Amino acid sequence: MNSRYLVDGNLLRQRTYRLVLYFLLFAGCAIMLLPFFWMVTTSFKVESEVLRMPPQWIPKDWQWINYVKAWNVAPFGRYFFNSFFMAITTTVGEVITTILAAYAFAKMRFFGKNVLFAILLGTLMIPGQMLLIPNYVTIVRLGWFNRYEALIIPWLASVFGIFLLRQFFRSIPDELQDAARIDGCSRFRFLWQIVVPLSKAAIMTVALLKFLGSWNAFLWVLIMTNSDKMRTIPVGLTLFSSEVGTAYEQLMAASVLAIIPVLILFFFTQKQFIQGVARTGIK
Amino acid sequence: MRRTLVLSILGLVVFSLFGAIAMAEENVTISFWHAMSSRHQPNLQKLVDDFMAEYPYITVELSYQGGYGDLQQKINAAVVAGNVPTMAQAYENWVTPIVEVLYPIGPHMTGLEKADIIDGLVPSNTYNGVLYTFPFNKSIMVFYYRKDLVPTPPATWEEYLQIAADLTVDKDGDGTIDQFGTGFRPAANPEQFLNFLEEAGGSILNEDWTEVTINNEAGIAAMEYAASLAPYSLITSAYMSDAFQANQVCMFIDTSAGYYYNNKAAETAGFEMGVVRVPMGPVNQKSMIQGTNLAVFDMNQTQAQKDAAVLLARFLLRAENTVFWAEKGGYQPVTKSAYETEEWENWVATHEYQQAMSAQMLDGFSQILHPNYGDMRDIIATAFEEVMLGEATPKEALDSAADEIETLLE
Repeated sequence: MNSRYLVDGNLLRQRTYRLVLYFLLFAGCAIMLLPFFWMVTTSFKVESEVLRMPPQWIPKDWQWINYVKAWNVAPFGRYFFNSFFMAITTTVGEVITTILAAYAFAKMRFFGKNVLFAILLGTLMIPGQMLLIPNYVTIVRLGWFNRYEALIIPWLASVFGIFLLRQFFRSIPDELQDAARIDGCSRFRFLWQIVVPLSKAAIMTVALLKFLGSWNAFLWVLIMTNSDKMRTIPVGLTLFSSEVGTAYEQLMAASVLAIIPVLILFFFTQKQFIQGVARTGIK
Repeated sequence: MRRTLVLSILGLVVFSLFGAIAMAEENVTISFWHAMSSRHQPNLQKLVDDFMAEYPYITVELSYQGGYGDLQQKINAAVVAGNVPTMAQAYENWVTPIVEVLYPIGPHMTGLEKADIIDGLVPSNTYNGVLYTFPFNKSIMVFYYRKDLVPTPPATWEEYLQIAADLTVDKDGDGTIDQFGTGFRPAANPEQFLNFLEEAGGSILNEDWTEVTINNEAGIAAMEYAASLAPYSLITSAYMSDAFQANQVCMFIDTSAGYYYNNKAAETAGFEMGVVRVPMGPVNQKSMIQGTNLAVFDMNQTQAQKDAAVLLARFLLRAENTVFWAEKGGYQPVTKSAYETEEWENWVATHEYQQAMSAQMLDGFSQILHPNYGDMRDIIATAFEEVMLGEATPKEALDSAADEIETLLE
């Protein structure tokens, strides 16, 4: 009898615990989703519903026309192409250079390695704003202004990515490398056939962070380009705001379009992304 | 024989003339950097298209450069790199440090054209005694109010304070104010305080920029007046139109360029909005002119490009064009003759709010040309915000601001 009570008591505690847990998770989820919900529903509202108090959560008449209007404000087709092109090329490029550099810093011995690494890390401490004018001058002098070179080449390497992968590569035992080399495996083969597959989650994290960074890049694109042909989506999104007001419904329609590719990407890669976040300690 | 000779000479002269014209009208492309959002871009494009139709040998490439802050960064970087556009929008204080690389338009305008620019806009476009830039998208701070709650808008500071106090109410009695008499955006719009400062006879600096005067008697009087409004004010970082639509504020000072959004907010909320001049201060009833000017660059531009840019400047200053820009964009015409055109008179007659805006525009003041004005504005915004949030007394906030501005002068 007593034991039954005990079992029932445990069950009750477990159920209560789960109920509280799910409630908290649900509440957290709702809080996280609320801005997205507002963005999506606002993209279908008429102007007058956007800031109505109390809020009008669901539009009365769904204004699909907002998407047409937003799309026609600027050459968004071109902006999408540029965003994709920039994000994909910089991601692929950075992953390659980062893997090579991180391997060198993690597994190879060469003169001045630690000093070089410290200098590289030091560059992370310089605020980006400070570098904007020198970078602009460099890009102009190189003849890359308003060209894809300006949008892509400076972003083909990342100190942060090198740091991240270097830490991950260091956790791979040196004995593995020694054994492989004794068996006649070259460094390059060891890197691509052993280190890279073992570090898939970390590499995926670097790639995803890069893709998101490039997809959202605003100031660099704005400063380094002049023509609509070279602009990307984030620059297009600023068109809807001014010092005195914002066309929220159109801005939200354009924003929904802008995040769809990112959502699709996350949908297919969320497992690796979450693994990478968990294993590298990045948030 | 003689007839043939005369005809030949005439032919030669005509040919040479056409040749000269053809030479003078060699195709030229100019770039124009701007920060106009999607609402204004079609209007700007229309003006530029009209200009290109009139001068078919000139191509104007409009290039959007983000918000004003982004545009300023880009201009600064471009000057260093020598990669400037032919012309660009620029606030007065952006121009001061780069005036040496600008092409003054004044010497290339007729006396009549120069005299036609509104008097209040001439000093803010004049550097070293020369008209370098020209006014473009100009707006003016005016007073917006709800007609249903404010049957008679305030004409003086005292009336403004009284009405604000009367309209500040806790409707549901929960101890929180639901409706404020007025509202301010101290961090985003310190011009609301600068208006008070001007109306109290104060200034940020003395005339030759050698002394900080913001914390003198007039400055403190202006800030004390702002502080007296604080209990009846919604302090926000959002657009005032958002609070207006949410029935949180009944009246406020804002730029005329915000009319479109403020009126839309009023229509949505279901009340009628009125616009009048800002309430009269102890010394005057001036308010701040906002918006940018256009600058033509002398750096890495051919003479043909500079000439084309000056032609565009003169085109934009024509009465019909500044009127078009004003009507479509909520800006104010920048020339005196524009205010006398039938088109504008009709516009004002049919748009009641414009009467106040026009009157205020002719009695406006501009920001100072000091190169550090941007930093000064930020310091003033902080002081204004501290006072409105009750974190500092007017004297404390202004003394601290004065110290910081002093270091900028040094």
